[in-house]
Amino acid sequence: MIKAVLIFNQLGKPRLVKFYEPISTPAQQEILREIHSLVAKRADTLCNFLEGTRSIGGTDTRIVYRHYATLYFVFVADRSESELGVLDLIQLFVESLDKVFENVCELDLIFHFDEVHYILAEVVSAGMVIETSLSEIGRAIDEAKRQAKPESDHARMGLSSLRRGFVQ
Amino acid sequence: MFEKSLTDLIQGLRANKRNEAEYIRRSLEEVQGEVQQSDMHCKSAAVDKLNYLHMLGYDMNWASFNVVEVMASPRFGEKRAGYLAATQSFHQETDVLMLTTNLIRKDLASANAMEVSVALDGLAQIATAELAADLFDDALAVLDHSRPYIRKKAVVCLYRLALKHPEGLHALVPQLKERLDDPDPSVVSAAVSVVCELARTNPHNYLPLAPKLYHLLTTLTNNWILIKIVNLFASLTPIEPRLARKLHGPLSRLVCTTNAMSLLYECVHTAIVGDVIGVPLPVADSIGREIDFAELCAQKLELFYESRDHNLRYVGLVTLARLQEKRPELVAGHYETVLACLDDPDLSIRMRALDVVSGMATRRTLVATVKRLMSQLVLSNAAALQPAAPGGVLGPGQQADACVGLPQTDASGTSLVSAQGALVPSNKAGAAGPDAADNPEYRLAVVEAIVGMCSRQSYENMTDFEWYVATLADLVYTAGVDVDRLLSERLLDVTVRVRQVRRFSTQMSRRLLSDSRLVSRAAAGGANAMTLAAAAYILGEYCSLLPADPDDAALLLPANLAAFTDEQQATFVQASMKTYTNWLRDVAGYWSADIWEQVRSVTSSIQRTLSQALFPSEGASSGDALEAGPDAAGDVAESAARLPLQVSSRLRQFAEAIEVVSVATSNPGDSAPPVCAELHSLFTVYELNPVSAAAQGKVPVPEGLELDSFIGIPIPDTSLKVIPPPPPQQQQPRSTAAAESSHTRGSRYSKGTGEHMERRDREGGPFYLRDDAHGGPRARGGPPDVDDIPVVALELGSEPKSEQPRPHKERKSKKHRKRKPRSPSPAPAAVDIAGDEDMPGIPTEAQPGTGPAAL
Repeated sequence: MIKAVLIFNQLGKPRLVKFYEPISTPAQQEILREIHSLVAKRADTLCNFLEGTRSIGGTDTRIVYRHYATLYFVFVADRSESELGVLDLIQLFVESLDKVFENVCELDLIFHFDEVHYILAEVVSAGMVIETSLSEIGRAIDEAKRQAKPESDHARMGLSSLRRGFVQ
Repeated sequence: MFEKSLTDLIQGLRANKRNEAEYIRRSLEEVQGEVQQSDMHCKSAAVDKLNYLHMLGYDMNWASFNVVEVMASPRFGEKRAGYLAATQSFHQETDVLMLTTNLIRKDLASANAMEVSVALDGLAQIATAELAADLFDDALAVLDHSRPYIRKKAVVCLYRLALKHPEGLHALVPQLKERLDDPDPSVVSAAVSVVCELARTNPHNYLPLAPKLYHLLTTLTNNWILIKIVNLFASLTPIEPRLARKLHGPLSRLVCTTNAMSLLYECVHTAIVGDVIGVPLPVADSIGREIDFAELCAQKLELFYESRDHNLRYVGLVTLARLQEKRPELVAGHYETVLACLDDPDLSIRMRALDVVSGMATRRTLVATVKRLMSQLVLSNAAALQPAAPGGVLGPGQQADACVGLPQTDASGTSLVSAQGALVPSNKAGAAGPDAADNPEYRLAVVEAIVGMCSRQSYENMTDFEWYVATLADLVYTAGVDVDRLLSERLLDVTVRVRQVRRFSTQMSRRLLSDSRLVSRAAAGGANAMTLAAAAYILGEYCSLLPADPDDAALLLPANLAAFTDEQQATFVQASMKTYTNWLRDVAGYWSADIWEQVRSVTSSIQRTLSQALFPSEGASSGDALEAGPDAAGDVAESAARLPLQVSSRLRQFAEAIEVVSVATSNPGDSAPPVCAELHSLFTVYELNPVSAAAQGKVPVPEGLELDSFIGIPIPDTSLKVIPPPPPQQQQPRSTAAAESSHTRGSRYSKGTGEHMERRDREGGPFYLRDDAHGGPRARGGPPDVDDIPVVALELGSEPKSEQPRPHKERKSKKHRKRKPRSPSPAPAAVDIAGDEDMPGIPTEAQPGTGPAAL
């Protein structure tokens, strides 16, 4: 399973911190710092896999990362996930972000950090990959967005979804 | 109405970079007021802000109750924010979690699918054992939801609940099986993921699902699920070998047809790990030729480790190492390619390549491979010694600090997507880090690989042992990491095992010990102390193989001897004594007046050194103390007491021996005093040989000695029970007449147990007076004393009798020796003495069945 998803910039400032295992806040920050120090010094010509250090889960853990412009996207996973598969998954996640934010950049992630969480939740839930289709992810995000609009009336939304249920 | 929104907070943070902590402190104070307000909109915004600050490392547990309030909001946007904050900040001990049961139950039953989805996501993350037990059935009910979007989330959520609530698994597994047939691929994918996780911890329970998974493997086209299933089979085949045959068809088809490298990799990996390549069925390759599956996998692996993509190279080498375990001959052909990977700038790739390279060394390639690795150590070492470039002085941390002042907006506004719209990971120009060969971890791995491939299978690949010893000596200088123990063990091992190299090894040891810089560095707490001690041992033990040199004794008593550990000091002193006596024996053969002079001077110089070692504080003035004879013995004892016991004892032995020589040679004579020629024989009575770890097991069991049966009836462990102490009156006579006591206990225990108890009492009982003359146990036939055990006398020194009729046993013992080479033990080998016969220098064909190849 996937143990954690982290996004941080080159200076190590967190943009998304998601742990799928209960870990205390200070320990999260420690892991974040450690992974940043490991990843940020690697040239882009090097491979995108690192073996986990002791505090991150030992050699059974793989740190898979990708570097996009100013940001590092890091997935921490155990042996049951294929390294190359996770690499593709990061790409999928970034494409989903790009689809939602239209030409996504670091500022989007800073000011919509909650939105990033919701997008991630459509790809990975509780450490398991639940969707790998870009269009399905987009559809779910759109639907949630429509409901979350502050002006939308909850009762009406409820009705409309009921109606859609009938049509189906 | 004037509260800061999340956007305001983030903007404020960016505007207050210089006093961020202060700004956050003020914001937190504001938030504390806001979360208390009754307006849900305001409360929810405050929780959002807290959640953001939590990401930066600030605690928000104090607001847990308010988070629950927001979770209960009727508006979806707020509810979602509440659940998000809960998943981010709640932990197992959060006490408000028990308030959420009904809230989550209501959301799970909601008509609004998005609410159900949020509740499932949240519950999966925050579930405790109680929550899981309470809500398991509610979540199970959602599994039949009309929308696949909910079903897939329910599958994952139920898995997490079952982890906390194992009783739920019984209900979950049949449902999971059903979900594997779900019409929606995402639901199948989630179910497969969950089965993978479950099967990883307990593969036996999920074997019954294999046919279903096999069916999916042959029908699905979604690569992600296929990867998962193939991966799952890698953990199932080891416990059900028949699966390998079954998988042969679909796996080989996938290997031949797929274009996705990730799937191809997973298939090849599973084929190798699951031993599908061992199935004797041919497959057709891309041009229709019949080919062995293992060969096909090896061919496909080439695509990976010869790729320009570093990621593919990495996984390719990882899998190649696995293939090597099963079919080394298939990997051997790629020697050059793998060797090239050793120069990869990427440390991870180098390490993996090192794994493979050290496994593929043969007699032919060994020297070239080791030279190549040695050159990496030497070259990077030279680079490391050069002064650092000005730019390199700044550590990564400092650089980061220096950049903090720069406006960040420029960089953070850069699109993650390149201008063409294609998502390409950025390409950091150049910026190669420090050479991977400077990494201590890598250097350690290189040294281990060199030593490992040289000594594998009792030096199977070794053709030139002198070269090997020279390489070890080189490593002392070039390793640059702490490999002291490894090198010392190897140096001893090869010297003791291989008779022909001993002379060269002794020369090498002398050279190492003559390097005063090396010795003083080791004494100053640097590395190589153990290696020097090993060299000292070798020089002492085998000094007779070289022309005797009077300087050796002084070499082995360096001025900074006291800086070494006790054991090492003892080794040095003992070795010094050996070389000295060896030299005496040598000169006794051609004694003359000049020689007499030399013996006098060498002896007195060593005497001075020894007395300095024994009386470090008093300096040379007390050097006479030794010569002063028995009167000074008390002083000697007093001073020596400050030294570690084993060191002082060796030093005093040596001093005594020197004293004897000094007295014997006090007058010049025509011939050498007999003591000169004889002293060295003290050290050469037995030859030391490596003892197999299994040697003890080879000692034949004497007739009639039953080792597996209990001597008496096993008594229960009484240590935990309270046993009233027996009255002393009863104990007292028992201590003097043990036979009586066994009578008194005879009513409860058998005779044997009585003895056992008695022995325990004797060992631990406070009332027992030791009576050595006591012969009771022996009279009763028990084995009371080690000396009383009737052991067959072993024929030491001569060929071990028990070995010869059983050559297969000997092979077994070699296996042990290969794994755990032991440093020589002073005890002569009872059986299985490592002689020259198993060294590759002797053709193994001459002894069928005994050579390492037969292993």
